[in-house]
Amino acid sequence: MNSIAVEMRSVSKVFGPVKALNQASLIIEYGTIHGIVGQNGAGKSTIIKVLAGIYRHDEGSVFVGGKELKSITPKSIEECGVHFIHQDRLLVSTATVAEAIFLRNEPRFGPFINHRKMNAQAAELLKQYFDLDLDPSTLIADLSTAQQKIVQITRSLSQQAKVLVLDEPTAALVTKEVDRLFTVLRRLKEEGIAIVFISHYMSEIENICDTVTVLRNGENVGQVSPKQVGIERIVTMMTNRDTSEMYPKRSIKVGSPVLEVNNLCLKNHYQDVSFNVGAGEIVGIAGLLGSGDKEVLQSLFGLTPPDSGSIAIDGTTHQLNSSVNAVENGIAMIPEDRRAHGVAVSLSIAENISLASVNNISKGGFINRRQEAQSVNALIEELGIKTPSGNMLVSNLSGGNQQKVVVAKWLSCDSRVYLLDEPTVAVDVGSKIEIYGLINRLASEGKAIVFVSSDFEEVAEMCDRILVIYKGEMIGEYKGGEIDAEQLLAAVSGKKITINRSAL
Amino acid sequence: MTVNNKNFAPKLSVELLSNYSVYVAFICIFVVFSVVANGFLSIDNFANLIANKVVLLAIVSLGMTIVIASGGIDLSVGVSIDLASMAFIMMIGAGFNAVLAVIVGILVAACVGLTNSLLINKLKIDPFLATLGVLFIGKSVQQLATHGGSPIYLTTGAFSAPFDAITGTSLFGIPTPVWVLVVCIVAVYLALHRGKFGRYVNALGAQAGVAKYSGIRVPLQLTLVFVSCSVLCGIAGILLSSTVRSYVPLAGGAFLLDAIGATFIGTAISKERKPSVFGTILGVLLLAMLRNGLLLVGWNFFWQQVGIGVLVFIVLGLSFGLRKRTE
Repeated sequence: MNSIAVEMRSVSKVFGPVKALNQASLIIEYGTIHGIVGQNGAGKSTIIKVLAGIYRHDEGSVFVGGKELKSITPKSIEECGVHFIHQDRLLVSTATVAEAIFLRNEPRFGPFINHRKMNAQAAELLKQYFDLDLDPSTLIADLSTAQQKIVQITRSLSQQAKVLVLDEPTAALVTKEVDRLFTVLRRLKEEGIAIVFISHYMSEIENICDTVTVLRNGENVGQVSPKQVGIERIVTMMTNRDTSEMYPKRSIKVGSPVLEVNNLCLKNHYQDVSFNVGAGEIVGIAGLLGSGDKEVLQSLFGLTPPDSGSIAIDGTTHQLNSSVNAVENGIAMIPEDRRAHGVAVSLSIAENISLASVNNISKGGFINRRQEAQSVNALIEELGIKTPSGNMLVSNLSGGNQQKVVVAKWLSCDSRVYLLDEPTVAVDVGSKIEIYGLINRLASEGKAIVFVSSDFEEVAEMCDRILVIYKGEMIGEYKGGEIDAEQLLAAVSGKKITINRSAL
Repeated sequence: MTVNNKNFAPKLSVELLSNYSVYVAFICIFVVFSVVANGFLSIDNFANLIANKVVLLAIVSLGMTIVIASGGIDLSVGVSIDLASMAFIMMIGAGFNAVLAVIVGILVAACVGLTNSLLINKLKIDPFLATLGVLFIGKSVQQLATHGGSPIYLTTGAFSAPFDAITGTSLFGIPTPVWVLVVCIVAVYLALHRGKFGRYVNALGAQAGVAKYSGIRVPLQLTLVFVSCSVLCGIAGILLSSTVRSYVPLAGGAFLLDAIGATFIGTAISKERKPSVFGTILGVLLLAMLRNGLLLVGWNFFWQQVGIGVLVFIVLGLSFGLRKRTE
């Protein structure tokens, strides 16, 4: 038998102007656990989605079990024995465990589903693979996330999976559940199954993977063994990039504190968070998924009010219990989900820009259209939004320009504090640079900026100060330039980083 | 959008047709009935059409336009109409001042909108289900209040003064109810297309999350949306009961589907397919003309419904279906 389970040769995939995959290759052998690592936008999920038949690759070829697959559909790839446990695509919550495991493969009695047999087989499979006594008639909705993952894996195994692809399987799991999952994965490996493991967590990659493919900017920069080269080398391979042109430098002149956060607590999310942001300062909050970084931002914008603690703007304490409140007090949010929270794409640029500042341009409930056009056109020009007029629909703009519309919205109502949640998500490199320029410009105008991003390179490069949050607690604070993306990646995973301060 | 030069000419005409489908339908219906329906093309017929068919549906549809613009729907317009009508007629019957009766009638309708918005804001029920629940309850309330649904007639001369004042008067030769409609049109136009309120409503309809993340008081705006719709329905209810000089339980339900239909037909005039005051009024006129014309050529009520269904298919099919193909 061929030892190579999956081979992808020089696969390329282009989305509009963005080359998501550029001649990337992947070779996965049976009986190994193969990690795929890379930063956000490196092409991890794209290469997996090509293999899963969700995207069609523009160039290159894919072999499974030595046979070339001309066209891949989600159904045909499963028939080849390659099964996917996607991060976000979970099970039908109203199904039972047994129904989820045997979906579309139910044991039959004539035209009817043989429920008794199905439940018995489901219980047996769970016992066999996971040594788990789980009532197969439990509803999926009543299971923990770890149990749901286990049900998904059991479903794949019940269909004789030969290759199992796990996308961020541990993202929502606690340590004990991760350990159990790893035990199962190791046993499956012994049985000769090829496992593809995608994770942000370097310690997990080091712990469980036999080989690792490192992707960067859509390219394959190497296949290495983490036990031989060490995790530091892999992180370097992930982040190594000429950064000087990406991040325009600016001179920092931090003014008096604008935003003061004192002992903010929100049960189950973060505890005792305190920090200040001065005028013109960019403060980054870096943390892993679920570390509480986003929740702090949500609380600062009044969306999830904290249990205790205080927030002061320009020295005055405010009770922020709604976004209305936050906006009135000069807080602006550039949300992560641009299409759901940032811009209404079916409205015009002008309508979007003046949405938060309608009060400033209206009198007695009526909008002064001339005044609106003036301020909108000024902002379009100031920020360089590429559009013939403010009456164009936002849906006609590129991602980067849409993000500029969001910034323009807040500039029009003179916000002092800017909360940036993944401001460069889903934009291409060119727009990224423009957005960095925009952020620097906000800072130079004296705005206080809080920056949250899962791209640690941009956090390390953009911020004047970086706060590290780990499991809801602030565990470290670094000055800009003091720490790089690699060290930050280690710091957010809870490792102690020693900074040689005298060297600076 | 890419422009493909080869197909530019046919694409352009398809786009024209899709953007002007309402006008095309309007002209076609007008011309066809002017030719085939005896008595259609006359001032009397149109005056009658507007006074008796257009005014009430138009006022209700204006309310529906506000709600649909905000991304919701109000299935309880009939309840607002009926309860306003009931309160108004009961107070006139009991000898209260007519002005007071009008105010109370409108306030009762406003309460229906308030109930809707409480359900939507506080209990987070979807507008469709919230107003559906209010529709069921409102029907029962009327039946309970009228011994199972018996109408209240105030046709004797003793009560005629307030009704005459509302339906029998006119200004510059135009009957008072038509003036009421004009005032409603202007008010809703200013609020929806010129005012702050309209901006918020459109933002809610386009992407509620963006409205929330822009610091807009979403619950307050939704309350205003549903209350203003109900108030408009209340005005329609009072005009209705003044015309028939009675309160007929559950009579308002007949306006619901026509109002939704008129509003959606109206969305076809805008490129972004957004509800608008002008579009809705056009939709109401289209429906009224079609009903009237079909009646004049001898189609009965049941066949008129078929005619309206076909009209909706044609107008919306042209505007939405063709638009999809041009994209």
